[in-house]
Amino acid sequence: MTPGGKAGTDGGAPGEVDERDRWARLELARLVEPGSWGLHAEVEARGAVEVREALASGARLQGLSGQVREAAAARAADLDLAEDRRRLERCGGRVVVPGDREWPDAALLWSPSDGSEVRRRWAPPLALVVRGPWNLADLATRSVALVGARAATAYGVHVAGDLGRRLADRGWAVVSGGAYGVDASAHRAALDAGGAPTVAVLACGADVAYPRGNDRLLARVAEQGLVVSELPLGAAPTRSRFLVRNRLIAALSRGTVVVEAAARSGSLSTAHHAEDLARVVMAVPGPITSSMSTGCHELLRRPGVALVASAGEVLSLVGELSVDGSEPERGPVTERDALPAAARAVLDAVPVKGGAGEATLARAAGVPVLVVQQVLPPLMVAGLVRRSDTGWCLTPLGAGLPVPAR
Amino acid sequence: MAVARAFSVGLVGVDGHVVQVEADLAQGLPGLTVTGLPDAALGEARDRVRAAVVNSGQAWPQKRITLGLSPASLPKRGSGFDLALAASVLAAAGVVPAAALEGVVLLGELGLDGSVREVRGVLPVVLAAARAGFERVVVPAGNLAEASLLPGVWATPVASLRDLVALLRGEQVPEPPAQPDPPRPTPPVLDMVDVAGQVSGRTAMEVAAAGGHHVLLVGPPGSGKTMLAERLPGLLPPLPLEHALEVTAIHSVAGMLPPTQPLLTVPPFQDPHHTATVSSVVGGGSGVARPGSASLAHRGVLFLDEAPEFGRGVLDALRQPLESGRLTIRRVGGTAVYPARFSLAMAANPCPCAQRDDDCSCRPEARRTYLGRLSGPLLDRVDMHVDVPAITRAELLAENGVGESSAVIAERVAAARARAAERYAGTPWRTNGDVPGVELLRRWPLPGAASRPVEDALDRGMLTARGFGRVVRLAWTLSDLQDLDRPTHDVVGMALGYRLGRVRTAMAA
Repeated sequence: MTPGGKAGTDGGAPGEVDERDRWARLELARLVEPGSWGLHAEVEARGAVEVREALASGARLQGLSGQVREAAAARAADLDLAEDRRRLERCGGRVVVPGDREWPDAALLWSPSDGSEVRRRWAPPLALVVRGPWNLADLATRSVALVGARAATAYGVHVAGDLGRRLADRGWAVVSGGAYGVDASAHRAALDAGGAPTVAVLACGADVAYPRGNDRLLARVAEQGLVVSELPLGAAPTRSRFLVRNRLIAALSRGTVVVEAAARSGSLSTAHHAEDLARVVMAVPGPITSSMSTGCHELLRRPGVALVASAGEVLSLVGELSVDGSEPERGPVTERDALPAAARAVLDAVPVKGGAGEATLARAAGVPVLVVQQVLPPLMVAGLVRRSDTGWCLTPLGAGLPVPAR
Repeated sequence: MAVARAFSVGLVGVDGHVVQVEADLAQGLPGLTVTGLPDAALGEARDRVRAAVVNSGQAWPQKRITLGLSPASLPKRGSGFDLALAASVLAAAGVVPAAALEGVVLLGELGLDGSVREVRGVLPVVLAAARAGFERVVVPAGNLAEASLLPGVWATPVASLRDLVALLRGEQVPEPPAQPDPPRPTPPVLDMVDVAGQVSGRTAMEVAAAGGHHVLLVGPPGSGKTMLAERLPGLLPPLPLEHALEVTAIHSVAGMLPPTQPLLTVPPFQDPHHTATVSSVVGGGSGVARPGSASLAHRGVLFLDEAPEFGRGVLDALRQPLESGRLTIRRVGGTAVYPARFSLAMAANPCPCAQRDDDCSCRPEARRTYLGRLSGPLLDRVDMHVDVPAITRAELLAENGVGESSAVIAERVAAARARAAERYAGTPWRTNGDVPGVELLRRWPLPGAASRPVEDALDRGMLTARGFGRVVRLAWTLSDLQDLDRPTHDVVGMALGYRLGRVRTAMAA
């Protein structure tokens, strides 16, 4: 299936998955906080249905501490599967579990023995609640996470928007956390681009609009993209849930770009997850004087973290072969490719800095001056060139530098 | 005979009115009274005329002399009536036959020794005389060339009052000194070929000349804005006789006609300094207003260098002529109407300090507001907004001396103007600059594909609906220059460039 393929029937492929297993996994999310290796091991060994029964009845389970079992037993009283299914129906969501065609198997497969600290600490999710008309597994094969500060500066918002738009334009799903600032800008730009869908991975129930100010944005994402959560329906976000959620953002993308992050930003944890999960870690530099970028700079000092300044550079790192990473990106490919040959020749002759007069450009492009005079104004309208003191030069867009979204 | 009359012409602006000068010689205390709204110069004519008559060997009548100039309500000024005044007195005294004064317009200032001096405004006087049915004018010898411009009017030169007396008596008049050859139009001295490294600026001037578009040149000092504007008249076609007479009349009234060139056939160029007053630009002065630079630029180019430095009043006063092609100036002495249908060229630095971008020391708001001094309504009439970048060595080399001469460009301009005139035959318009954008779009719609560039610019908010009409006008001029039937996509794209200047002004967009 292509990344654009819509989701199959509710929950992927019924028949291959035991429906009791599906609902048991949903209920387990209510009993135990996500990411527990102990629970993961028990479910692997004995099946979700049996583990759920054992927890509800307070039975001993090898991998789980007494504290967790007690908490689970206490929560078991609140279990109400009928209510959960009503909630699910109301928000138009579905439960996706391993075995479903929509389960992003490759993305969510890791074991504690792989070594790194994060992997040891948190297990893959047991089930995901998904809202939206796309196949999560498909999107996860061609996706990039854009994360960053909630209190982003105008710069961060611009860069996130620009990257989001261009990545979506190129058919890459933008994964983020649905928060304010960088997250919202990335989601919004991807939605506006109308290309590949965007995926919001929440630290609360998939049916909860958090933060409240983003409720309309999240509703749009659920309508045109995907909203994903491993937490029980209606769950409120907590600090620890954010950290656990971050591993999902990293896992569901081929690479993670930290757009703007202060020294101890939560988005850095996403980058560390990505590193641990052997995903590409990228960061966008900011002014050295901006405390809102020190986290990115810290990240960039680590080996293996790539500095990125454009969507083209991101894509060349996450492995889109059609993009030549050795050359800086020069404007949207579609716009440039749509230009007539003469206009392209003139555009190629326009310098990045300073300015060239019309006679100079005519000479360099090998076309008559009249042609130069005819093609430059439309290129200016397209935002690729501008006038300077001494003639014409490329705009940041024309030169392929990151620019604020128009 | 105690009463006699002679004819002259009084000017209000460039409009001449035939004035009848009557002399009445009555018994009484000898003296001289002039009636009929004379100004100071004309009042002094009493003494000038008497001295001239006496010094020409004629007796001054010892009578009570009343000189009346009618119509009495018309303000009269200047010394051009001297000859008519003297002739009427001499006729009344019986020195010359009164009948000889019928059907002749007399014009000239008298010196105390009886010599006849040159006056201003001879051409409009002759025009008015011809309109009023006079076929004969007597003018100072030095004004003969100018007076002879109009076919159908017989101009006779006189060098002195003695000559006039002899002429009126039907005696042999001594030959006036030989006049220089009939005027040849002098070729414009300033040639486009001198403007090196400014290929875009040269093209812009060609477009402005071909379409009759007003133009604003914006660029750093030394980039050649003034050189370009000065060469604009040389690209315009020579004035047809009808226009040449209008132009010459104005310059004659202003006393600015070069002595070697009685008929101005080259479009005039006026470049008032930015400290110029309203009166000096649009016309003014005491009594009846005299023409200003705007009228002297009639059928030519009015160039305002450092346009934002001009007084707000001056710039605003230009709106009337840009709209109507004439200037109406009211003064105590009467209302003068001067034609003023000029091409406006303005030049401006991008900011007050006029340094390069990197070195500019202006505060940001100063940069933003500098060109804002050019008011919206004024810029509204300016179709072309031309960026004149600083000349670089690379550009000079790239151009490789391929610059065309004004003569070559003028040929294309003439052909383009002819093409436009053919299209607009039967309409009140002659050039693309004259046609309202709405009319142009309605009567000569653009082919759908051609308007894509402007539509893109509209979509991106870089152009307003008003700017749209201007781009279309410019596109027609470009297509006329390229000998196309109608604007193409490329031509419209090029036209767009003249609306998307680097420095945004009130009109930009």
